[in-house]
Amino acid sequence: MSRKLLELTINGEKHQLLAEPHWTLLQVLRGQIGMMGTKENCLEAECGVCTVLLDGHAVNSCLLLAGQAEGHEITTIEGLGQPENLDPLQAAFIACGAVQCGYCIPGMILTAKSYLDENPGYVPSRQEIREAIAGTLCRCTGYSKIVDAISQAAQDRLTGNTLTESKETAA
Amino acid sequence: MNAEAFRATGRVAGKRLPRMDGVGKVVGKHVYAADFTLPGMLYGRILRSKKPHARIVKIDASRAKAIPGVRAVITAADIPAVRYGQAVRDAPVFALDRVLFYGHAIAAVAATTLEIAEQALAAIDVELEELPAVYDPEEALANAVLVHPDWQDLKALPILVRDGNMAACAKIKSGDVDAAFAKAYRVYEHSFKTAIQHPGYTEPRASVADWDANGNVTVWTNTQLPFDTQNTLAEILDLPSARVRVIVPGIGGGFGGKLRIGVEHYAALLARKTARPVRVLSTSEEELTAATPRQSAVVHLKTAVDREGKLLGRQGRIIVDCGAFAGSGPGTAAVSLQVLAGPYRNGSLALEGVAVYTNKVPAGSFRAPAGPMANFAVESQMDIIADDLGIDPLELRLRNIVHEGDLGPSGEVLKAVSIEECLRKAAEAIGWHDRKPAPGRGKGIACSWWMTTGGSSGVYVKINPDGTATLVSGAVELGTGAITGASQVLADALSLDLSDINVAGVDTQTSPFDYGAQGSRTAFSVGNACLAAAADLRQQLFDLAAQQWNIGTEGMELRDKQVIAGNKAITIAELARISRLSGGGLIAHGTAISPPPAYDPGKLENHLLPVWNTPSFHAQAVDLSVDSETGTVSINRYVVAQDVGFAINPTYIEGQIEGGVSQGIGQALSEEIVYQDGRVMNANLTDYKMPTALDVPEITCILVQCASAAGPFGAKGVGEPPCIHPPAAIANAIASATGARLYSLPMTAEKIVKELRTARE
Amino acid sequence: MSFELHRPTNIAEALGLATRLGAAARFIAGGTDLVVQINRGRATPQHVIDISHLSDLSRDIRQTADGFSLGALTHYRSIERHPAFQDALKALPEAASVVGGVQVRNIASIGGNIINASPAADFVPALLALDAELEIQGSAGSRRALLHDFILGPGKTDLRPGEILTQVHFKSPAANSATAFLKEGRRKAMEISVVCVAACLTLAADGKTCQAARIVVGAAAPKAYRCEAAETALIGKPADAETFRAAAQLAAAQAAPISDVRASAEHRRHLVGVLVQRALEICRQRIAGV
Repeated sequence: MSRKLLELTINGEKHQLLAEPHWTLLQVLRGQIGMMGTKENCLEAECGVCTVLLDGHAVNSCLLLAGQAEGHEITTIEGLGQPENLDPLQAAFIACGAVQCGYCIPGMILTAKSYLDENPGYVPSRQEIREAIAGTLCRCTGYSKIVDAISQAAQDRLTGNTLTESKETAA
Repeated sequence: MNAEAFRATGRVAGKRLPRMDGVGKVVGKHVYAADFTLPGMLYGRILRSKKPHARIVKIDASRAKAIPGVRAVITAADIPAVRYGQAVRDAPVFALDRVLFYGHAIAAVAATTLEIAEQALAAIDVELEELPAVYDPEEALANAVLVHPDWQDLKALPILVRDGNMAACAKIKSGDVDAAFAKAYRVYEHSFKTAIQHPGYTEPRASVADWDANGNVTVWTNTQLPFDTQNTLAEILDLPSARVRVIVPGIGGGFGGKLRIGVEHYAALLARKTARPVRVLSTSEEELTAATPRQSAVVHLKTAVDREGKLLGRQGRIIVDCGAFAGSGPGTAAVSLQVLAGPYRNGSLALEGVAVYTNKVPAGSFRAPAGPMANFAVESQMDIIADDLGIDPLELRLRNIVHEGDLGPSGEVLKAVSIEECLRKAAEAIGWHDRKPAPGRGKGIACSWWMTTGGSSGVYVKINPDGTATLVSGAVELGTGAITGASQVLADALSLDLSDINVAGVDTQTSPFDYGAQGSRTAFSVGNACLAAAADLRQQLFDLAAQQWNIGTEGMELRDKQVIAGNKAITIAELARISRLSGGGLIAHGTAISPPPAYDPGKLENHLLPVWNTPSFHAQAVDLSVDSETGTVSINRYVVAQDVGFAINPTYIEGQIEGGVSQGIGQALSEEIVYQDGRVMNANLTDYKMPTALDVPEITCILVQCASAAGPFGAKGVGEPPCIHPPAAIANAIASATGARLYSLPMTAEKIVKELRTARE
Repeated sequence: MSFELHRPTNIAEALGLATRLGAAARFIAGGTDLVVQINRGRATPQHVIDISHLSDLSRDIRQTADGFSLGALTHYRSIERHPAFQDALKALPEAASVVGGVQVRNIASIGGNIINASPAADFVPALLALDAELEIQGSAGSRRALLHDFILGPGKTDLRPGEILTQVHFKSPAANSATAFLKEGRRKAMEISVVCVAACLTLAADGKTCQAARIVVGAAAPKAYRCEAAETALIGKPADAETFRAAAQLAAAQAAPISDVRASAEHRRHLVGVLVQRALEICRQRIAGV
């Protein structure tokens, strides 16, 4: 086995590392760099928990060779907001109760971000949101509140508001 | 002891507050067991059988051991001969003389990289001589092929009736069903079949084990039952349990599939052998061949009614397919009987639940064990009866449901009975008056009841000098929000805000005992333990304030984070500071156990769970359309009316309902682990079809709050019930829409087309 | 299983590598088929040549004089969202939009899907319904081949050593034409088709009579097949349910489906009949502007 030097741009930062040619981006993120926010499960693009953004577009990092990701902008969940300054999607996921076990959530948030960024200024219907996230499985939530959150975030991105309080409705 | 001391103020408990661990999860900082690593750790992999039933002729690991980087290869020969299991101690760590199912563990490897470990697996030479096998549970009862020829030598719970491949047989008997059948207006007899369903958590089973210099082992793992895992590990490792420490960093879903030992023992054994930390992570293929899925079942149901559709008697037999090890099969077979009885006045009952061994994957306790299978049978048959008698299905149910003070199937007095309210609300919300709105479109309804699992919980609660409280609990937060819910209960009782509560991590070494995050019990039981601790802390606070002011404690109040006596007030924070200086700090140990209700043991035989604690009641209704040419089902609307007692946090309760219904839809329409000649044909997520966002409809959640006597602020268990009804509700709606009645799950498009074609001919 | 990863910068370099390394080398574009096969041990290349960055291999959708040219690297997501592919070419985004999830569609290439030649490929029937023609480049130069002749069987195409697929061409359908694509699976997304159907129907100027048709069925035979008997049977007939049903039955009779964990052969054959009839009816409605 011969490792090659790779330079990956992740969340705006350059990472230099030695990688086997057959390693996927997911393996490099979690194994070599130690960024655990991107999750592993099926390893064959059937569940979406490994989703990252490649030049802003959601892809499954489990099937992308790390070597192929060189020269692209990679965004992981760690590159979105931080607790003091959450991205509207992150804030909406919390406020709308869309997070349960949370294992699918990094992938789900990036899948949603990819879709909303692809359609700036557009507030999608619930059906359109469901189509956009159909490639990321959630076993806990049944998707309803995830759709709520993405819908909320789409509106928040338009108005510039970020929902930080939980949504109070009549119980 | 607890519920009486406090009443919900509505200040914290009852509010839709954001969960406490949400921020970590959305920024990717929350650590799951699958993320946990230790420096210098090795990677473990398991060699699993590709044959369903075979004699192990030889295992030769010499080639594997010679691969550079391989640090250990172990088989049954290398470890103590321990067999474990909660009902029957039939399961060894590795296959002994025979492999008993496709996926049975034969050996484990630890290596410096995962890839080397995988190469090592391929280099282990195993010679297997295939044996005749049995896959059908009813066939297995004939004992022509014994899965455990040594079944008589196995240790088991004394209450179990066992015989050859039969691992358990539980009964509920009440009244005289023969007389009921004799005098009935009609008797209905049907059989139903359900398939093996994987819990489908997105985080695979993962464990890291590390031994210290004193021969103690710590295992970081995603288990729902850290104390049970601790005990099982201690048995397997031949250690006192105090030398085994189980820590749960975080868990990505469980649903009952991460209750019992999964890969912890492999990690611990490999770590002991190599004197290095070892990590074992299940692959998707292992999850779908060798995890602990929901049993498949066959239900035979015979029901007698009078002319008005009143139930006179029910005779039922459910055969639960345990797979190669009993696992929770015996408990599941027993609990199924209460589900078969349903929330109904049955007249008389003769129910039998049988757990049977076959040469397939050992099954477990996926959410509401036995619930969906038994409910599919009972509620489908209720509709068949209604249709035959010309009675509206809702009306038939209303004529037979239990009411407050009625006796349940075990002779227990039913309290806080809300099934009528649930049925009526679900029916109204779905628009029941118009059951067949269009050709190919119909509505169906199903109802059930379910328990809140008992077992004890302990918590420590400390009050800190900054005015916060620390909750130390042995209960794992699976994602349900139950720990947030329990914390809301605690905050409410201590006049604190939710943001004042800190939750410590789960660690068997330091956390008080908890019976486990299972059976819809966590918020209920931990909540009660918190109330007990809060009551103790309140007294400690009052006593300390009384000392400061040199007065008695009568009339003292705990309000706004202060102790108030007339015009005197002192903050909880200040009292905590004082206590640290002079009294060792403010801390309380709260415990909770729900004593089971009184019941009539004469009605039950060999039943592992004879009476249900704090039962809940629920109804679900669905409006769907069926494309009769393709068989595709499209769900238009879905409604759930669930009695939660008291909604501690409505947002996360809705989350449980929406998620449970989604799993039920999967079981109803698309999910099954498919075996052919004992081999799994769809051990990957391409062909194991869980619902995507396009497969689950919007779900209307109606929270009925019929307060329980025993729950915190009247709460009842919430997590499991939502997955019970979808198969029956959907089957009933399909029948309403098309006239086609399906008797086996999943109700795939192909089966629907076939049934419609048969009905036409 | 390890391999060496090569990242040539243009087609000539890529072909040079392919020729030199021979059968031990595979091209990789999006990787969504190849990496799965490598992980499952079904492909064991010693060399993997990354063609996703070749400066002269296109991922663009270009309008031509009489139709469109899609670069071999075109992503499904681009096809899904392309404004020109509504109306008569609707089958293309309909087929593109059901290939895996969005994550796959953002990176998987149509060229890779064609070369992978799965009998259940969704986009292939849509291209076949438009008589798509491939442009293939080798060291000696370019050649063209009909997609119909290019796919030989499961996993097998007429791509020769030292060649690379560069473009997919098709002509826009004639006036009074429409296309449609339908798919059935066990759930509503993330499905490998149990059966899929693409149709292109052309009506006469009266809008009532069938003039020409292409009916293509996927996932019901070792490769996607043109239902030539059904297509011929339509010509000159009224565009109505009876005609479409008769054509659908011919299409179903031609199927050679397998039984597997997804569906039985019998059900697949049944679905061919249902989907072909529906696809033709959808085409008719689209032409009528309904």
